[in-house]
Amino acid sequence: MGTNIGVYYHVHTSKSFFTLKAEVPKENPRLKTLIDIHPGALFHELEVTDLIGVVFEGNEFHGHFVLSENWPDGFYPLRKDVDPSKVKLVPTPEREANKAAEGRQVKIIIGPQHPALFEPAKFSVTVDGEIVTNVEPRIGYAHRGIEKTTESRTYMQDIYLVERVCGICNPCHAYGLVGAVEKILKPDVPERARYLRVIALELNRIHSHLLVLGHAGLEIGYETIFQYFWRDREPIIDLVELTSGNRIYSSLITIGGVRRDITPEHIPKIKSVIADLRTKLPFYRKIYNDEPTLRLRMKGIGTLSREDALKLSVSGPVARGSAVDMDIRKDLPYEAYGEIPFKEIVYTDGDTWSRMNVRLDEVEESINIINYALDHLPSGPIRVEVARSIPVGEAVCSLEAPRGELFYYVRSNGTDRPDRVKIRTPTFANIPAFLKTAIGESIADVPSNFASLDPCFSCTDR
Amino acid sequence: MAEKTEARKKSRISPIFKRAISHIFTKPATTKYPSTKPTLPPDARGKLIYEIKDCNTIDFGSGPDFRLDIKALRGSTCHVCERDCPADAIKIVEVDGKRRPQINLNKCIFCCQCIEACPRKAIKQSDFYELATTDKESLVMKPEYNKQGASQ
Repeated sequence: MGTNIGVYYHVHTSKSFFTLKAEVPKENPRLKTLIDIHPGALFHELEVTDLIGVVFEGNEFHGHFVLSENWPDGFYPLRKDVDPSKVKLVPTPEREANKAAEGRQVKIIIGPQHPALFEPAKFSVTVDGEIVTNVEPRIGYAHRGIEKTTESRTYMQDIYLVERVCGICNPCHAYGLVGAVEKILKPDVPERARYLRVIALELNRIHSHLLVLGHAGLEIGYETIFQYFWRDREPIIDLVELTSGNRIYSSLITIGGVRRDITPEHIPKIKSVIADLRTKLPFYRKIYNDEPTLRLRMKGIGTLSREDALKLSVSGPVARGSAVDMDIRKDLPYEAYGEIPFKEIVYTDGDTWSRMNVRLDEVEESINIINYALDHLPSGPIRVEVARSIPVGEAVCSLEAPRGELFYYVRSNGTDRPDRVKIRTPTFANIPAFLKTAIGESIADVPSNFASLDPCFSCTDR
Repeated sequence: MAEKTEARKKSRISPIFKRAISHIFTKPATTKYPSTKPTLPPDARGKLIYEIKDCNTIDFGSGPDFRLDIKALRGSTCHVCERDCPADAIKIVEVDGKRRPQINLNKCIFCCQCIEACPRKAIKQSDFYELATTDKESLVMKPEYNKQGASQ
C-alpha cells in the first residue's frame, strides 16, 4: 500500500460485476460515501472505517462498529504497518444503551447472549407498546480477526482457517478462498473435482437449510418441527462424514481439486439417503402451508419489498423470498453449475414465510443437483499439483453460500502467504434487512423474523 | 387479518399430531451413545498415528507434495508436517539426537494435512475419536511414546 490506501468497491449487479477503485492518502484517508447512491454499502463502509481507518464522509459512526469498545481510537488493525505490541486497551466506556428511551417508548435490549441463535449480538429495540419503532444493532462480539490472521499463514493453512469463519457453511468458505487463488494461479482443475465440489457444496446447502428451517420453528415455540428437521439433518451430516471423513468440517476443497474421491460404493448410499429425504419434504411443505401455528407467526411478518431488497443489497434466500431473482449459481456459474440444470426458487411475498419456503424448495433442488452430478460424474483425477507460492495478482471469487452471496477477494504478493484477504459474508450484508423489517412489527416477532434471515454471527463478525 | 382468520379456519388439527403419535410406536432416532457406538465410515478422520520408524531419513522426491528448499533439510527430519500444520499442533523435538515431530492432539483439528504432506507416510489416521481425558498431557504424542513400534 505504501503511502496510500486503496479502497475497492466490488459491485455485483444483475447483469455485471465490476470494481470501483479509489486511493486515499494514508495521513488523511477521507472519501465521500456511496450510501446515497447505494444504501447497501452502509455496513461495509462502517466496517472499513473501523478496521482500516478510511472515513467515509456522510457515513460516520460514533465509537466502534466491529471492534471491542475498549479498543483504542486511531489504531487500525488491518493496516500493514500495525504493531500489535503498541495496543493499549482503554477503559470500557459507560454503556449508552442503558439510557432510557424518550416519552412513552421503552428500550429493550435483546442480547448479547442468545438474541435468536446461540451466538452473541446485541439489538437495542425501542418499542411503543408492543410495536417496534427502532432497532440499533451492535455486532462484533465474535470478531476474531480472521482476515488479518490469513496474512501470516500459508495458503494451505488459510484454507483450514477460513473454514473456521463459519462452521455451518465451511466448504463455501474453503471454496471462496480456493476459487480466488485458482483465478490467480490458473491450475487445470480436473473435471471430476469440479463435480465433486458441487456435491460437497450442495450437501452443505441441504444441511444448512434444514438447520434453519428447524430453528425457525424453535423461535416461534414450535419445538416439534425443530426436532424433526434436525433428525432429518443427521443422515445428511453422515453423508458429509462418509465423503469427507468429518461430520462438519469437511476440509474437502483444496487448491487444485478436492482431497477425497467419491467411490462407486458411496454413490448408492448417497442416493438412497437423499431419496429418503425427498420423501419427507412434502410433509414439511404441508406443515409450512397448513399449520396454523407456523402460518400465524410467519405469514405477513417481516415483509421486505422487492425495492427495499434491491436497495439494501440483500442476497441469498432473503433476496429470493422478496422476488429478486438473484442466484450466483445461475448469474455467474462457477465450477460445474453451468452444466447442471436446476431451478431458481423465487417467492414474491417477501415475508418470513416466503424466505423459509425458498429454503424448503432449495433443499429439493439441491437433491436434484446432487443426483444429476452423481449421474454425470466424469472419471479421471481429482487433484492437480500446484505450487505453494502464488504469483503476484489479485482475484475475486463470488459464490452462492446457503445464506447468500459469499465473496472473497485475495491479493497475493508472490510468496506463499496472501497479502490481503477480504471476506464479505452474506449474513453481514443481510442484517440491514432485519433492521428494516423489524420496525412496525410486534416485539414477539423479532426472534422469528431474525431467524428467517438465517443469521450467523461467526460469519458476520469474522 | 383476513389471512389470519383464513389460517384458523383451514385446519384445526395439525398433521403433526398424527405423525407425533405414530412416533410413540417407532424406534427413537437417537442412539444410546456410550453403550451403542456409532459405526464410522472407514476413512473417518480421528486420532493421528505416528510411526517413528517411517520418519527417518529423507528420500528426495518420493512424496507427491515434496517441494522444499534442500538447505532447510540439512538436519534430519523434513519439517513438512510442522510447517503445514494449520493449528500449530506439530512441534519438532529432539529424540536420541534426531529431530522428530511431537503431535499435540489438544491443538489438532483433524484436518489430516500432515498426512498428505508427509513424504514418508509416517503419520497415518485412525477412526479413534474418544479422546476425552482428565490429563491434558496424555494427549501430547511424544515421539518416544511409539518407540516400541520402531523397534519391531
